[in-house]
Order: sequence, then structure tokens, then C-alpha cells
Amino acid sequence: MKTHAPPQTGQAAVAAVDLVKVYGHGDTEVRALDGVSVGFGRAEFTAIMGPSGSGKSTLMHCLAGLDTATSGRVLLGGTDLTGQSDRTLTRVRRDRIGFVFQSFNLLPQLTAAQNITLPLDLAGRQPDADLLAHLVEVLGLAQRLGHRPSELSGGQQQRVALARALVSRPEVVFADEPTGNLDSRTGAEVLGILRDSVRDLGQTVVMVTHDPIAAAYADRVVLLADGRVAGEIDRPDQDSVTGALRDLAARA
Amino acid sequence: MKAPVLRTQVSAAARRPGRLILTGLAILVASFVVFGTVLVQQITERTARDNLSGTPAATDLVVGDPNQPPPTVAALRQVRAVPGVAEAVGRVMVGVSLGEGYLNLRADPGTGPLATVRLLRGSYPDAPGEIAVSPRTVERLGLSIGAVTSGTGGELSAPSELTVTGLVDTPDDDGYNAYAPDSVLAAWGGLTTVERVDLRVASGESADAVRQRVTAAIPAGLLIRTGEEVREAEANAAAAQVGKLFALVGMFVAIAVVAAALVVTSTFRIVFAQRMRQLALLRAVGAGRGTLVGALIAEGALTGLVAGVVGVVGALAVGHALPVILRASGHSVSSPGLPWAAAVAVVVGAVVLTVLAVLAPALSAARVAPLEALRAASVTAGRRGIGVLRLVFGLLLVTGAALAYAGTFSQLPKPDQQSYDPTRPLLLLVASGASAFFALVALGPLLVRPVLAVVGWPLRQFGPHGRLAVGGIGGTPRRAAAVSVVVALGVTLISGVAIGGASLRVLVDREMALSAPADFEVATDGGTLPAAVVTRAEAARHALARVVPYRRVDVTLTRDGGPVGSSEYGYSTTDLDLLALSTTKDLDVAQGTLADRGPGRIVLGNWAARDTGLRVGDSVALALAGRTVDVRVVAVLPDQGPLNAAIVADRGDLDRLGAPAAYSGLLADAARSGEDGRTAGVRALREAIRGSDGVAVSVLADDRDRVNDLLSTLLWIAVGLVSLTVLIAVVGVGSTTALSVVERVRESGLLRAVGLSRAGLRTMLTAESGLYGVIGATFGLMLGVPYAWLTVQALGINAPLALPVLPLVGLFVALVVLTALAGVLPARRASKVSPVAALGIEG
Repeated sequence: MKTHAPPQTGQAAVAAVDLVKVYGHGDTEVRALDGVSVGFGRAEFTAIMGPSGSGKSTLMHCLAGLDTATSGRVLLGGTDLTGQSDRTLTRVRRDRIGFVFQSFNLLPQLTAAQNITLPLDLAGRQPDADLLAHLVEVLGLAQRLGHRPSELSGGQQQRVALARALVSRPEVVFADEPTGNLDSRTGAEVLGILRDSVRDLGQTVVMVTHDPIAAAYADRVVLLADGRVAGEIDRPDQDSVTGALRDLAARA
Repeated sequence: MKAPVLRTQVSAAARRPGRLILTGLAILVASFVVFGTVLVQQITERTARDNLSGTPAATDLVVGDPNQPPPTVAALRQVRAVPGVAEAVGRVMVGVSLGEGYLNLRADPGTGPLATVRLLRGSYPDAPGEIAVSPRTVERLGLSIGAVTSGTGGELSAPSELTVTGLVDTPDDDGYNAYAPDSVLAAWGGLTTVERVDLRVASGESADAVRQRVTAAIPAGLLIRTGEEVREAEANAAAAQVGKLFALVGMFVAIAVVAAALVVTSTFRIVFAQRMRQLALLRAVGAGRGTLVGALIAEGALTGLVAGVVGVVGALAVGHALPVILRASGHSVSSPGLPWAAAVAVVVGAVVLTVLAVLAPALSAARVAPLEALRAASVTAGRRGIGVLRLVFGLLLVTGAALAYAGTFSQLPKPDQQSYDPTRPLLLLVASGASAFFALVALGPLLVRPVLAVVGWPLRQFGPHGRLAVGGIGGTPRRAAAVSVVVALGVTLISGVAIGGASLRVLVDREMALSAPADFEVATDGGTLPAAVVTRAEAARHALARVVPYRRVDVTLTRDGGPVGSSEYGYSTTDLDLLALSTTKDLDVAQGTLADRGPGRIVLGNWAARDTGLRVGDSVALALAGRTVDVRVVAVLPDQGPLNAAIVADRGDLDRLGAPAAYSGLLADAARSGEDGRTAGVRALREAIRGSDGVAVSVLADDRDRVNDLLSTLLWIAVGLVSLTVLIAVVGVGSTTALSVVERVRESGLLRAVGLSRAGLRTMLTAESGLYGVIGATFGLMLGVPYAWLTVQALGINAPLALPVLPLVGLFVALVVLTALAGVLPARRASKVSPVAALGIEG
């Protein structure tokens, strides 16, 4: 473990600079993010970890343009997301970002295939047929495309969500506890697919998790505590992550 | 366990009063409408009582009664002489036929508290033969002050002179109203009796004493009532009319209440579905089904109570504010009272109705498996299909509706049927319609997706938003069906009114084309029209269009040397050129075609056809004074011929029969529309007939207008009444959308996260709301059109089937726009929620 280097925003797919997010005010003020500066490299699989309330979800929401920071900047590629209008952020999310959620969040009334192409539909773009075919094959969804979410298992639903996040070739895929609702075997499958997308497709993936096993799939782990970056681990494995988390808990 | 369960449910409802009102909004509106109707009835009754009495308020005593022999003019003089009588006026009306028209000549003192008219200009009549007229009468009959005419009326057998001396303001101005004091009128018309005597008691005299003196002074047998009693009786008669009207209104209000019950059942289903996990949790920790049902029903009762009270209070506020506002703007409208009993009844009704509506949703919600509490929320999808029992029940209803429909069809009147009682077929039809509607309620969820596949097609072409909206509706077919059937009920009723109205309109136009074929008729009483009249009328192009003169002679029909038909004097035959009239397009034939008219051909009225047994294609001879002309029947009219003629023949054929060349009368249309054009036309015709004896002008267009106005008024009232149901339906769509939005906040958040813009989300949700309208209106038209057609047929009034395409398309569009608008507010609210907050919500 080493102390974190200043973010290299030039090469980063997405970066936060002095990001502050404050909820409430006065006595009830909570500084969810308290000056976070961190970059996430291209074609890299990064996990954000930290105890509950460390601000990892807030950081992800700000990076993904779902939430606006109180101060500081978010840079996506060359674009500064700070202070952009809702319309611009919506377009950024649609065209340049992919999401995978803990509770899958598929639309119940759409089939698997329709769910996969939903962001492209909203953008009025045609999916890349080769990529779609490749994803469907890799994710093992060929027989499931006509099914609705209620007819799919949890693992299948999360694979549909993965396909949805990847098919538009976003600059960054954000995954929020993607294995939280899955058993360990299906969870491992999903994590494997995420890692393969980084290796095979050059995808940038940022994942929030509290599970050291999940974090071990990443190329790098960024540790958060009390709204600040508390360290990072390159080439993590389960033991190094567990140890770092234990240290963080002891410090608190 | 009971109390805590009740507490969790009721306190949840109480914590969100907005949600409570939203759930019960339909009941609120229904309570408002029902109690509003009670108040409007009171307002109407009181206004009728206060304003409609024709007896002036100053009248103390009234001598004479419509059901008894009338007071004589002598008795009137006797009453006048009784001490203590300040004023006594005879009320009587005489119909006067003038050369050029007709007058209602009414006795009125013209001045004083017992007068009903007020002098505007000139002087009020005081010598026999003098009259005062209303402003419209001046216009119509050309009787301005100083005009002299002559007329026959009352006991007169020959025309006697009438001079207009004054212009009066009268409450009812029909265009033929004249007034004179009773003595003047009696002297002119030689009257011996009046209808009744109104009298005013001198100040300081007791009405009872005067009454006794009057009783003693006049012949026995004349009833004396107080003015109060007479006014009361008149007011009661008016109020009774109001009562009958409101019985009809009540029927439509009842339908709206049924619609409200359907809506509230659906909204409760949605609310309970949203709480499935909570209910499952309660079940998991040991709450019994009965306890849950009890708690949910208690919540329903609370909703009904709140909605009922708010609705009643709202109606009370509006009902008392409106008359005040109307009075301030110069209308005389009475305020309603405070009908507490009705208010309590409406609130109790609202509670009972809501409890009944909540029963089914509560029972099915309480059936939730405790395991549901442990399932991931995003996976639970609403049931799409319907149970076997419901399917069977629905199919039974369809069968019943079809059988009743077929039954009605078989009982329709045949073309030649003479007597027809529409009661049985109409009852069958109502039964069929009700079964069909409840079949729609039962089977709706199965029909939503096929209908959506068709009507949703254009929307799907609009890109992802449209596709999402169609998908959103299709994903919850039960919900979509529940709210659409209520829209359908409203559309069925309105389209029924529109189609019935259009059919009736065609029917009326046809009848009017025969009885009032032109705006004006110049007729002679059996004589001939001087040729100069026709020439002058034709010359008056600025005021008259289409002057069509005609002859009328009585012609007998013969065949093989013997007479045809039972008429001794022959049949009234005219050579009126049917196609020269502006109303020709409205003419209808029972058999044959009018285009075949020509020399040697005749058109028969239906009575002549029945009487003679002649049919289209039959040959017959017209006979007049020994000459005959052979003709063929080319058409039979569904009613009498124009101008009550039995036969319409060709001009040349009448010439060959040796009929006189002089015309019997003429028809003409006004050159310009509106009251001014009509007045100009009347003046021109009066000018044309000046100096001709026994020639009169009548304004046929006035009758046509009266019938048309009546029809329009009836149709608008009907539309207003069925709109109540539409209002409830729109409220249902609004609350369903609002509740669905709450339920789908997570879905909205996801869509926003993956790139749906705020406007896009608004568009999608508004489109969903409008889709409820599209589906409902489609169902409604599918039911409304065939039922309206069959109803028109079953009424047996020989009306044609009309499909008023434009109004129906307008109705469809209006419904879709209204339902879409109902979704605008919920859609706005949903689009304001940030995606982070939406995704954070545990569904």
C-alpha cells in the first residue's frame, strides 16, 4: 500500500478534483465528500471501497453525473461535468456512461433485448450489431432475449444489465455493488465478465463495493474513509484488501 | 395484533393525507356531484317558485278556476263594484286571425300593480279596436304605432278594425303578442266571459272581509282563492316539472356514481399493491388475514369519510357562492338551503360505497403470501391475466349481452308494422348494454393488449418515448383495463347521445322538409293568388330567394274506369316543384326515387298511398272535371306530401287536366339568414300581397327554429349529464397515473440514469395517461356505436342511422387530450425527482 499520487487527469477516463459534497446544513450538515481528488485510468478496472458512510456511493453518483457536487470538479474525458445543466448531464449519461446496479433495475415491461438497447433507443442510435451479438454470446443470453425480467433469474437479470451498460461502448461503466444481490457463484460470473470487458474490449470500469472478494477482481482499489481518499492498492488480492479495510476500521 | 395492524395502516394513511385524497378523489368528485345535484335542484325549485309565477305579486284574490265555468263580464263588473276592491282585472286571451297573420290578444290593464306589460311608447289602448303590441310583433307583422289592420277573433264573425296605439314590453315576446284592457277587449271581441278575475284589495281593508263581500256579490259557483294560493299552485306546478327533470338527472348521476366506485376500486388495488411488502411483513410476523382485511377496509372507510365530507363541503360552498355571483351579474337566481339530512346521507353513502369498493382489493391484498416480504421488489410484476372464474363470468355476460342484442333486433318494427310498443325491446337493450359493459369490466385485461397493439402503433413510431409508454401500459393490463373501462363508460354514453342526436336531427330535418319546406308560405283560403303577387315577390330579390309558386287542386284517382281510394272529394294535388326548394336534400322517400319525377309521373304521400293501395310502378289516372291523364307512381313519401298535399304531380299534367292556371300560393326563402333577413322577407311578402283579399303570409321558418332549438337544448342537456361520467373517468385516469408514478419512481430514476431527459420522462408519462384515454375511447366507441344504432331503431320513430363522424372523432380526440392532461401534473412531479433519490428508494 502506498499513499495516493495526484490524479493524472490527462490520461484518466474520469477524474475528481477537490470534490466536496455536503448534505443538509447547520447542525445536520454531513460532508459526504470532503475534498476527494482521484483519477480512474482508461481500460482499467477500479474498485472504490470503504466502510459504510465513507462516501463511496456519493463519489460514484457525482462521477457519473447522477448528482452534482457542492464544489470541486468532475472531468469525464475532456469534459468538465461541473455546473452542467440537467439536459447536458442526461445526454452525458446516455451517450458516454453505462450503469450496473445492485438491484439490476431492469424495466419490467420490456424484454431482455429491449432492456439492453434502451439507452441506444433513447439516443436514437442503432446498436453495433457485432458488439451486440458478441455480448449476447459472451453473456449467454441468446435464449433469453425475448423474456421479461420477471422471467429471468437474478444472475440473468444482472447479465442483461451488464449488456445494457456495455453495448453503447461508454467511456466508463459504473457498477454499484453489482454482486450485492447475487450468490457467490453468479457474483463471480458477473465480476469475471466485467474484468473481461476491460481486457477484451478496453472498457473502463469503476465499481463500488464493500466485498473484498469482488474488489480482488479489480486492477486497483481506491479506499475512501470519511469522505476522503484514504489510500489505494494496486493489483489487489483478497488478503490485501481485507487488511487495508481492517486498518481503516481501526483508525476510525 | 388487531389494534397494531389497524394502527399501522390507518396512521400510514393519515400521515399522507394527499395520498388519501388521491385514492378517494373519484369518491370526492362523486360526492360533490351528488350533493351538488341536490343543491341545484333546490336552487332550480326555489328560482322557479320565486320567478315563474304568472300572477303578479300584488294580486290579493283570484275569482274563477280553469276547471269551472268562467266568470262572466257582468260578474267582473260586479266584483269591481264591491267596496274595498281597489282594482279588479279580467284575464283572458283571444286568438285573432289577421289577413296577414295571427295575433295573441291578451287582456291586461297596462298600468298599476296588476299589469304584466309596461308601455314603452305611444298610448295604452282605451277604446274598442285599439291594441298595444310587443317590439317583435312590430317587426314581424309590420304593426307599428298608428298601423290599422283588421282581424277576426272572439265572438266576431267578420273582420273588425284594429288600430295599434302603443308599444309594450312583455315578459314573453313571440312576435304575435297584442294587449288591451279587459273592457276594450271585451267590447271589440264581443266577449261575454273572462278566464278569471284578479283583484287587489284597497289598503286598510281586510282581505277576508272583501272576500266575503265579493262572494256575496257574484253568482254562486265561482271559486275564490287568494293570490298567494294561486301563486303557490303555479309555483308548485313549476317545481313539479323541476322534480321530474331531476328524476332524469338522478339517473345519470347514478351512472357517474357507479363509475366512481369502479375508479376507486382500481385506485385501492394500486395502493395496496404498492404496500404488498409491508402487508407481507405483517403476515410474516403473525397478522391474520382477517385482521389485514379489517384494517384495509377501515382505511377505505376513512378515505370515504374524508372524501365524502370534502365533496359535500365543496358542493355547499360552490352552491351558495354561485347564486350570489349570478345575482350580482343581474340574474335572478335563488340560493339553496342547508339540506343537512341530504348532506349526512351523501357522506354515509360515500363511506358505504368506498367500503364496498375496497372489499375486493382488500381481500386479494390480504391473500399475500408472507414470503413476498422476502422477495426482491424489482422482480414482482403485476398479474397480467385473469382468473378462470372471472373469464367464465365475463364470457357468460358476453353471451347474455349478445342474446339480448339479438332479441332486441328480432323485435324491431317491420317497415309496414302499424302499432309498435318500444318498451320491451328498449328494456332488453338496456339489459344487453349493461351486460356488455360488465363483460368489458371482467374481460378488459385480456382486451387491453390486442387493442394496444393496434392503437399504440402510431405512438410506437414516435421513437423510444412512445414505445416506453405503450410498454408501460401493456405491462399492467389489469390496471389499464380498470381505468379504461370507466373512460369507455363515459364515451359510450356520449357517443350514444351524439349518434342519437344526429339521427334525430336527420329525422326532424326530413319532417321539416315536408311541413316547412321553405321559410315563408303565402297561402289563400281556397281562392287564387293574383298573378301580380308572384311577380312582385319574384322582383323582391333583395329580400327573397327562391320564390316557388304552386297550384293546388283536388283530383280523384281512377283505374279501369272505377275510382281508386276511399276519398270522396279526391286528393289534394299540388304541382310544387320539389327540387326547386332549399330543403330538397333533406327529403326522404319510403319507396322509389324523386329523380324519376316528370310528365306522366306522380309522387304520393304515405297516407294517399295507404288509402289507395298504390305502390311505386303502379299506373293510375288523375281525373278532374271529366278529363283524365294517365300517370305512373314513381315515389312514395314516408309522411304527408309537402304542404299536406297527398299527390305531387307535374305542372303539364295539371294543365292537361284543365286545372286553372292561377296559382294557389307560393313558397319563398329569405335572401339573408338571421332575424333581420327573416323580417325583411316577411315585409317584402306583405308588400307583395298588399291589397289582395284572403291572402296571408306565414313564417314556416319560425316553427323550424323552435323545433331545432328544442332539439339542440335537449342534446346539450344530455351531453352535460353524461359528461359527469366522463369527469369521473378523467379523475380516475389522473389518480391512476399519479399513483402509478409513485409506484414506479424507481423505474423513472433508472430511465433518468440511463439517459432519459426530464422532458422525455414527462412526455412518456403523459403519453401513458393519454393512452388510457385512447384505449377507453376505443372500447367506448366499439360499444357506443352499435348500441346507439339499435336504440334509434328500437325507438320505432323511423329515424335513419346516422354516424356523425366529425363529432365522434372530436370526442375521441377530446377524451385523449383530457386524459393526457390528467397525467401532466403527476408526470411533472415524477420528472422532478432526482435519479439518485429515485434509485435509492426501496420499492
